[in-house]
Amino acid sequence: MPPTQDTSTDEARQPTDAATGGDTVTDEDPVDSAALLGSALQLGYGDGVVVDCEDIVVPEGEVTALVGPNGSGKSTLLKGFSAELDPQGGTVLLDGEDVQTREPKQLARELGLLAQENDAPGGLTVEDLVSHGRYPHRGFLDPLDDEDEAHVDRAIDLAGVDHLRDTPISELSGGQKQLAFVAMALAQDTDVLLLDEPTTYLDLHHQLRVMEVVRTLNEDRDVTVCVVLHDLQQAARFADYLVALDDGDVYDWGPPEDVVTETLLADVFDVDAAVTYDGEPRIVPRRPLD
Amino acid sequence: MSRQFRVRDALLPDIDGALALTMAASTVAILLGALVQIRYGGYQMPFETVWRALFDRAVWTNPGIIATILLGDGLAQTLGVYRDLSVLSDATAVVWTLRLPRVAVAAFVGANLAVAGAIFQAITRNELASPYILGVSSGAGFAVVVTIVFSLGTYLLPVAAAVGGTGAFLLVYAVAWRGGTTPVRLVLAGVVVGTIFNSLQTGVFYFIDSNGAMRTAVSWLAGSLTGVGWTDVRLVVIPTLFVVPAALVAARQLDVLLLGERRARSLGMRVETVRFGLSVLAILATAAAVAVAGLVGFVGLVVPHAVRTAVGSDYRKLLTGCLFAGPALVVVADVVARLGLGGTQVPVGVVTGLVGGPYFLLLLRRTASFNEF
Repeated sequence: MPPTQDTSTDEARQPTDAATGGDTVTDEDPVDSAALLGSALQLGYGDGVVVDCEDIVVPEGEVTALVGPNGSGKSTLLKGFSAELDPQGGTVLLDGEDVQTREPKQLARELGLLAQENDAPGGLTVEDLVSHGRYPHRGFLDPLDDEDEAHVDRAIDLAGVDHLRDTPISELSGGQKQLAFVAMALAQDTDVLLLDEPTTYLDLHHQLRVMEVVRTLNEDRDVTVCVVLHDLQQAARFADYLVALDDGDVYDWGPPEDVVTETLLADVFDVDAAVTYDGEPRIVPRRPLD
Repeated sequence: MSRQFRVRDALLPDIDGALALTMAASTVAILLGALVQIRYGGYQMPFETVWRALFDRAVWTNPGIIATILLGDGLAQTLGVYRDLSVLSDATAVVWTLRLPRVAVAAFVGANLAVAGAIFQAITRNELASPYILGVSSGAGFAVVVTIVFSLGTYLLPVAAAVGGTGAFLLVYAVAWRGGTTPVRLVLAGVVVGTIFNSLQTGVFYFIDSNGAMRTAVSWLAGSLTGVGWTDVRLVVIPTLFVVPAALVAARQLDVLLLGERRARSLGMRVETVRFGLSVLAILATAAAVAVAGLVGFVGLVVPHAVRTAVGSDYRKLLTGCLFAGPALVVVADVVARLGLGGTQVPVGVVTGLVGGPYFLLLLRRTASFNEF
């Protein structure tokens, strides 16, 4: 796979022939610029294998979206990336080093994870929550120091929840709550951020807000983002790269306009759809395929 | 930053209005409860005498007397500070050697149970968890009844209670473990182990043949402070001096654990290690309380819950509140247990149960939804 593509062309990227689907996964030594690299990866629960793929790369400094139908292994793959799940086979390298061998706190300083579930004790304020993002940077007895406070302030600012600083989490709407959790992940100050369906259940406004924050983070602070997204159109609009998963394996990998095709929708999502590019991808689903 | 600052930052909460109020109200309750407890009883005296006994110069100006009272005859003799206590007036002797230690034990029991309950509520992520949720009560109860039935000696009861409780807890952990634990697995394992030990305990109970032994057993199982003295204070104070600072230092771990296991892990916490360490801390607190007072119920459940309602779920505040409200509840409840029925004392656990029931009834009536935690 060619992850060494020039990132400066992102904005100016021309729509290419939408019909080029197929296998873009080639072996061109992707390791150099891969923030995360899974090789010969087998992930699953108990005896069952959910994800079984040869190579998977999350290029450094880019936004990569994992897409695929329910049960295709997106979230499982993310769990493999975050060392939450021990691989049954293969390895996951973060910056060239196995995620499993790292100290938990060391890993948490390099890799952040925003899960979908959003539970927090009711009385906690947004600021309290965000300051917990500093956990991996503090020793057992360390109080919050000036640097931590600066990171908390920056994260709150970046996520646009400044006006909610002293509001208890229990009084926030679903969207505001998610932004607060995004801020917590930002306070963690990692080079790589994984997000598991961060926009599911949110209204349109907050979906866009969350995505905008993540995009800003990527552009201004060069954070590598890997995000599981349910909405293919959103993924295509928002990500630099798409990884389409089908039944635990990588079906296709590349820039959205190469990956999102009518063939992909038919093969992977079992949907008959029209895909057009008009500067932005447009997917018009027509009917489910049997 | 100086060392003092670090210690302060690691231990003390930001005291806000709600917490200050909780602390003040609890302190008043403790003091009033203590005064009533000391004033009334078999040996009657007016408040003036109580006052004079409390501030008796024969005690305060004589370090040897204080040491003998607090450390006990044996230890005082070993340290060479022993003084004969018969020089004290009757009132002073009653206040200092009988009634004060009972108040002190009540306060320590309340503090330990409340802290243990607060910790277990975070570990199991269940705001209705009690210190006994992981099998401690049934393990301790079984061990106590066995000790009584086989007449192994009453002086062994505190040890038996602590060992039985800890053993049951370890068993619960072993049962729950499958490549790791989860709050739900732990609670279910607690139910399993609890059920078995309760059955065994009931079975063994059947073999108690004397009335006196039966009464001892019942007062242990219900939780009683009858007849406690400075020996019991010494027994409970040592674990408390370790548990309380440790719990306050660990408050931040509890806060993060409450965010959910997955999030705690993604923040770099070794969830299993931290959870087990915190459980051990809570078990130590529980065992300390059970060893001196038996199975006082509801304190570890009601107090953290009520304090959380007042001060919020920040654990440093919550634990600090518990350190005041726990003693307040047990000291006051023990006043009722000892003096409420005139001549007959009832186990203090009976009174805390009678307070705890209505508290939850009130909660049930007032609260519309229960998913705040």
